[in-house]
Amino acid sequence: MSIERRGLLLAGAGALAAPLSAPVLLRQAQAQTAPAAAPAGPAPGPSFYRFKVGSFTVTMLHDGFFTIPVEGFVANAQLAEVQATLAGSFLNTTRLTIPFTAMVVDTGRHLVAMDTGTAGINPTSQLLPANMRAAGIDPTKVTHVVISHFHGDHINGLLTGTGMTYPNAEVVVPAAEWSFWNDEGNVTRSPERQRGNFPNIKRRFAPYAGRVRQIADGAEAVPGIRAAAAPGHTPGHTCYHIADGAEQAMFLADLTNRPELFARNPNWHVVFDFDAQLAEAGRKRMLDRVATDRIRVMGYHYPFPANGYMAKDGAGFRFHLADWSSAV
Amino acid sequence: MMNRRTALLSGAAALAAPALLTACAEAPAVVSSAPPPPATQAPGFYRYKVGSLNVTTVNDGFASFPLNGFVVNKPLAEVQAVLRANFEPEDRLRVPFNVTFVETRRGLVAFDAGNGALAPTDTRGRMIANMAAAGIDPAKVVAVVISHFHADHISGLTTAEGLRAFPNAEVVVPQTEWRFWNDAGNESRSPERQRPSFANTARRFQVYDGRIRVIRDNAEVMPGIRAVAAHGHTPGHTAYHIADGDAQLMYVADTTNRPVPMALNPGWHAVVDFDAAMAEATRRRIYDRLSADRVAMTGYHFPFPAYGHLTREGGGYRFRLADWQGTV
Repeated sequence: MSIERRGLLLAGAGALAAPLSAPVLLRQAQAQTAPAAAPAGPAPGPSFYRFKVGSFTVTMLHDGFFTIPVEGFVANAQLAEVQATLAGSFLNTTRLTIPFTAMVVDTGRHLVAMDTGTAGINPTSQLLPANMRAAGIDPTKVTHVVISHFHGDHINGLLTGTGMTYPNAEVVVPAAEWSFWNDEGNVTRSPERQRGNFPNIKRRFAPYAGRVRQIADGAEAVPGIRAAAAPGHTPGHTCYHIADGAEQAMFLADLTNRPELFARNPNWHVVFDFDAQLAEAGRKRMLDRVATDRIRVMGYHYPFPANGYMAKDGAGFRFHLADWSSAV
Repeated sequence: MMNRRTALLSGAAALAAPALLTACAEAPAVVSSAPPPPATQAPGFYRYKVGSLNVTTVNDGFASFPLNGFVVNKPLAEVQAVLRANFEPEDRLRVPFNVTFVETRRGLVAFDAGNGALAPTDTRGRMIANMAAAGIDPAKVVAVVISHFHADHISGLTTAEGLRAFPNAEVVVPQTEWRFWNDAGNESRSPERQRPSFANTARRFQVYDGRIRVIRDNAEVMPGIRAVAAHGHTPGHTAYHIADGDAQLMYVADTTNRPVPMALNPGWHAVVDFDAAMAEATRRRIYDRLSADRVAMTGYHFPFPAYGHLTREGGGYRFRLADWQGTV
């Protein structure tokens, strides 16, 4: 796909769908404030969930959600087809709920946060700090923050206010992602809706200057957590393979947005993709791998607890949530 | 006193030992030596709405049964193939317990009572702690509505001391179930494995003498809650339909055990069913209705939070968990 066509598609969709960069989401937040006035019910339970990968303990940390109009969300499918797919999964067919779930991996040697949450970029997405506290995880003890890509909903949580959320951590980033977004020359080469990311990235990483480590595809972030490049959603978007002993899992990050749409239909293009064709190729390759090898997956926009398995189903894949267990 | 090497090598300490001690030595970060996050699970409760009613699923842990022999009319290999295709264990069936609480206009109503007070090492019996975590005071429960008299549904009516666990509640029971298990003459006519239910029934209901309300098949329990005869799993097994305005929820209790494999294959007979043929006819009737009308449902042995929908798939039904909401 040419830059022109991509820019057009993304810009067109931008009228309907706010990109995940701070200024636009602020506007969206204000727009959503009014209808959100429901009577206060009892407090929900904490939304964290733990499981083991070998001796590693993975804690999924829910950060809430935002909603977006279904119309325009899938760039290359008919609205009616998208809505039928959503209805089949008992999801709202007018506004799509997109959840956010970050995670922390305790490898026994390191305490690793993987992506950081949204830092409350809208009123329904500020649950991560409370869920992290409920899970007994102290952000000052996090040794590494490993980032999949630089969209705001993944990196904004690096900061709490203007201070570092993880003051003692090294931040590990995909080298391809780092070089792309830190090259000012790429601003004008980027789709309109992606441009807000450039200043946001500067701001979010600024306090971590001197403690950012870039890693190449296939390199280890820490022992047991290895980068698996899956570019397209952003230029350096990266999944991470987590392995201990014979057990393994794959953090898919934004390889797909909601699996009910994009795992089921891997050739559908979400409007947030930087290079939709490249994203599609990487998606098919990775989904095929995790389905064939029955690898447990975690997805940032998957329904909480956001971990499970991919089964091949027709031309696509079906996501099976892993069984919730009261025993870790 | 254990030295550091011993602590690292010991299995127990590997979980509890500060992951970060080693990290300190390697990373430039200054990290305190406080213990890492405890590897405990999130409290097992989940809140959702049925119309304006607040509903809370409270998890009571799980039990695991050898898969061999659980499905009486299918070869083990066939059962295992279905479990494998759905990413569930092939050696043991892990059966969770979930008690549903509904805040009605007449007060708090519990559907079934859990396994009761058990040793802390037991994987069952988490309901008491999870109720506390959810802020549910058993003294505020006005009615405990019972689906059937198997021990995992009624033993929680009494405390470890044999007192009423719900001191101010009436207990609502299906007439067919009540008559069957209170007639000692039925004991010798019952399958061997069902016989302990006679003594346990007497024991658990005794302390509610004068507070037991026996209802007929399909009778109204209270406004908005209606019994739905679902006989077969036990002679008087009963589902309950809960409605508020247009919103509805069916509590199917043990109409099937775990939806994978039992709802996917309604013709499979579980060893725990009293009358397997009747149970099969019942579940086909009820699940047909729930799937055709897209009625939300909850089930006692469904994967937590046990709230979702059934859709037709092949000759059976697939359970789809509702999207998790981090806020009610």
